[in-house]
Amino acid sequence: MSAADPSWGPREDLDVLDRDIPRVDGAVKATGRAVYTHDVRVPGMLWARLLLCPFPRATVESIDVAPAEALPGVAYAAALKEPGDEVRYSGEDGVLAVVAAETPEQAEDALAAIIADVERAEPVVSPEQAKADGAPIVNRRPGATSNVDRRNESGDEAAVEAAFAGAAAIVERTYEIPVQHHVCLETHGHVVEPIDEDGEVLVHASTQAVSGLPRALAGAFERGGRIRVVTPHMGGGFGSKFGPGREGAVCAQVAEATGRPVHLMLTRADEFAMAGNRSGSKQTLKLGASDDGGLVALRLDAERYGGVGGGALPRPPYIYRVEGEASVMSRIASVHTATDSSRAMRAPGHPQASFAMESAVDELAYELGMDPVDIRVRNLESPVHHRQLERAAEEIGWYDHPHHIEPGTPDETGRAVGIGFGVSVWSPGGRGSTCDVTVHPDGSVVSATATQDLGTGARTYVAAIVAEELGLTVDQVTPRIGDSSLPPSVASGGSVTTGSSAPAIKDAAHRAREALEERVSTVLEAPVGGYVWKGGRVMVRDDPDRSLAWIEVCALLREPLVARGQFQASLYEGNVHGAQAAKVEVDAMTGRVRVVKMVAVQDQGLPLNRLALRSQINGGMIQALSFGLLEQRSFDEQYGYLVSDNLDVYRIAGAQEMPEFVTIIDDEDQRPAVGGMAEAPVIPGHSAIANAIYNACGVRLTRMPFTPANVLEALYGKV
Amino acid sequence: MRPFDHRTPTSIDEAIAALPAERSRTGAQVIAGGQDLLTVMKDRIDEPEALVDIGGLGLARIDEAKSGDLVIGATTTIQAIADSEVIAKRFPALREAARSVASPQIRSQGTLGGNLNQRPRCPYYRHPDVTCFKKGGNVCLAEFGFSKYAAIFGGGPSYFSHPSDMATALVAAGASVDVSGPEGDDTIPLDAYYVLPDAALDTETVLAPNQVVRSVVVPAPTAGERSTYLKFKERASYDFALAAVAVTVNLDGDTIVSARVVLGGVAPTPWPSLEAAAALVGRPMSPETWKAAGEAAVADAVPLDHNGYKVHLVKGVLYRALESLA
Repeated sequence: MSAADPSWGPREDLDVLDRDIPRVDGAVKATGRAVYTHDVRVPGMLWARLLLCPFPRATVESIDVAPAEALPGVAYAAALKEPGDEVRYSGEDGVLAVVAAETPEQAEDALAAIIADVERAEPVVSPEQAKADGAPIVNRRPGATSNVDRRNESGDEAAVEAAFAGAAAIVERTYEIPVQHHVCLETHGHVVEPIDEDGEVLVHASTQAVSGLPRALAGAFERGGRIRVVTPHMGGGFGSKFGPGREGAVCAQVAEATGRPVHLMLTRADEFAMAGNRSGSKQTLKLGASDDGGLVALRLDAERYGGVGGGALPRPPYIYRVEGEASVMSRIASVHTATDSSRAMRAPGHPQASFAMESAVDELAYELGMDPVDIRVRNLESPVHHRQLERAAEEIGWYDHPHHIEPGTPDETGRAVGIGFGVSVWSPGGRGSTCDVTVHPDGSVVSATATQDLGTGARTYVAAIVAEELGLTVDQVTPRIGDSSLPPSVASGGSVTTGSSAPAIKDAAHRAREALEERVSTVLEAPVGGYVWKGGRVMVRDDPDRSLAWIEVCALLREPLVARGQFQASLYEGNVHGAQAAKVEVDAMTGRVRVVKMVAVQDQGLPLNRLALRSQINGGMIQALSFGLLEQRSFDEQYGYLVSDNLDVYRIAGAQEMPEFVTIIDDEDQRPAVGGMAEAPVIPGHSAIANAIYNACGVRLTRMPFTPANVLEALYGKV
Repeated sequence: MRPFDHRTPTSIDEAIAALPAERSRTGAQVIAGGQDLLTVMKDRIDEPEALVDIGGLGLARIDEAKSGDLVIGATTTIQAIADSEVIAKRFPALREAARSVASPQIRSQGTLGGNLNQRPRCPYYRHPDVTCFKKGGNVCLAEFGFSKYAAIFGGGPSYFSHPSDMATALVAAGASVDVSGPEGDDTIPLDAYYVLPDAALDTETVLAPNQVVRSVVVPAPTAGERSTYLKFKERASYDFALAAVAVTVNLDGDTIVSARVVLGGVAPTPWPSLEAAAALVGRPMSPETWKAAGEAAVADAVPLDHNGYKVHLVKGVLYRALESLA
């Protein structure tokens, strides 16, 4: 009976999508009424806190929780390590004990009352310590005899050296990127309600995987039960919130032991210590070009710093093409330290690869006397990149800028202005997701899918896609998300959320529309597929005077109409490109880098919500700017204290750091399909800033972040 | 947090009587705005048995004395100083210092007395699990560890850098503090108020545990004096000083006839740089002079592993401050 497959339709016919749609939950978020996991309060709820070992490596001698148990309001205290147990790394393995009390303050006091005696061992928090002769093995791989592993070598050295021999210009530098954090505004954690009389265990979770979390948590509940996860609002994840973590397992333990609801959200210090990070890296990149700027040889020797995890770094060449069959080689390895594992983070490995590659390409341009835009166009295959770079150059003011093929120098007052560039690619995923659209006889419509809104605006398109298909306004459709009892959807990682859930929502809306057209055909007498739904009415396509109002259509229903939608590959697009430019002011007296303007040009397929899309792109630029200018995890290397376990030392960008943002959706891209925009815009921003610093004053920053300390040392040397 | 009594004396004598003669982690302390003290307590650095709240003593005021001196009460908020028309007109460096402090919320709650008496920001000092010289221990972890924010002047045995913006500007202005204690009232010049770690480790000032700061007196500026406070933060939004300078100069034509330079954020106390001042006096107001003053300022700097950049930075910040007075 299906008259047509679902399609997004011609853009000029769209009434709701491809426009600026204010978030449907904007008001509740702006007024503080939105209930995040942190905000959940349940009668009888206990507040739990974790005791972390201050040292990355230690042997537990004793943990005495009795003094905590004796304090007022304390309902539960338990050691989570036994005497003789080892703490093997800073992070989840450092959780020594848990307490739960009637108030958070009582829980804090209980934590301080626990007497934990540990024997500190050599910390092994830096790659140098990990690689030193006789270093303790902190590599967690069974049987490991070295802290260096996951060696990945490719390419033929002799062939690559031969390719370099033919190059007109060669640049080689070592780039250092520290470990950085996700810094989710909402820390990790859960509120677990113990099993109820119907056998349900309700888990409020700050998670990127509502549908998958029940299974991931199942082992944590010894008494079983049907786990239901709810995440109506979520304060950011960026890749760090796929699993329940140690904190989820402990929360379940306390809820079962006490039979009471338990609120266990990590403190900010815990969050920095055990909730993951973006791996650091050290990359020595050698890059050669012919005299017309074509890249002809590349060699990368790199280390990934993912703590006890592996870290991430894509194999070269990154984005740019290098000519020739055997002109690229790389040697990449992971150096393990006794620190928290890296996790997925918004384009894992890509910002790291971007920094080295974009810096090297940029440096070659100046070596060859080429325009940095031209050398990029020369080595990028996609014409999409070419037009985006040119647009970014125009918007940032490149064509009016005085320094194109040679960098500037600080003026007589020590100030300099520069512009730099970087590009991105991403392949947003799309896979199985489901959605139910329910149309009620009274005209109300519910669009329901278990997906989560990490702050991206997902909830809004869950309604808007259905409104478009049925000729309604967004506020006529109620979106329901963030509940594992709803139709399953994907975990939000790799920019898959939109590409997976939007096609399923569209499919459900399309099926609902066809089911409605069947009912309507008994009145308006046109076949299914012969109608236009617009402005709250359904009209016969060939005779628009024959029409019904939405409320009249719904009155034809005797019971709610439910349509189940599935992911449709034809509605999804998995390939996006972007170009960014940054303009900076460098104060060579103080080392201050002020980013004054950033431009992003980004293709997307069909933009579902242009406002949310621009917000995503802005968010990517902001995060890259913050990485570029400020962010760095710091350990004390003598004892292993994490000194940056707070937002005082781990600085992130604030309002004063924000430049003017020009965010351009590349509308030459008319692909009739959708994909996610999480990763692409975070990839090149800091690279563009580094290149802008060079363009301003002729100093190449090879170490992130570009703090006054690092800029001054690059300018004048280390004192 | 350890439970504590909250006392609300109605007179300064009553406040003094409620304070201990001996300094200790658990002894009663004065609270005004609480913007530093509460964080010290949350980090379990001090656990006072009582907080003596001087908010009800009517100390907040900004007055001009007949002599032209400025009197600022101890519980005057930083925001009130930032907003004061008198201060904006006659003491621009104080206004700039006040405006540079923390965030609007903290400025509106935090007081001048609290700002002058705030404790170090060293991440080791603030770390609940660390015991260092400043907390009765026998080591300064910053000396051989994470020293990015540590002192390049006056360090040893402890290497924290003083966090107060107001202190740096007020030392440059020649201010003094009026204090009251069991022995009566006293006036202490602010440049003698702070003590280096080699003189005392359990405090940063000469104030006794049972003395209370009542007010700060700032002498009237001399005719034609130009002054400024320039704070350089690692993050422009809401941060402590990576380095700061308070500068006052008097010019005769284009020649500097007198100068005061005080550095902030680079030593365990506000750090008067007599060397920089000397390099300015008798010289023309010019980039060459500003650079020479910078070189003189850092000649005796002793950086640690991670804070050598502050040597460059002090020169740059001093240059920018002098440039703004030209």
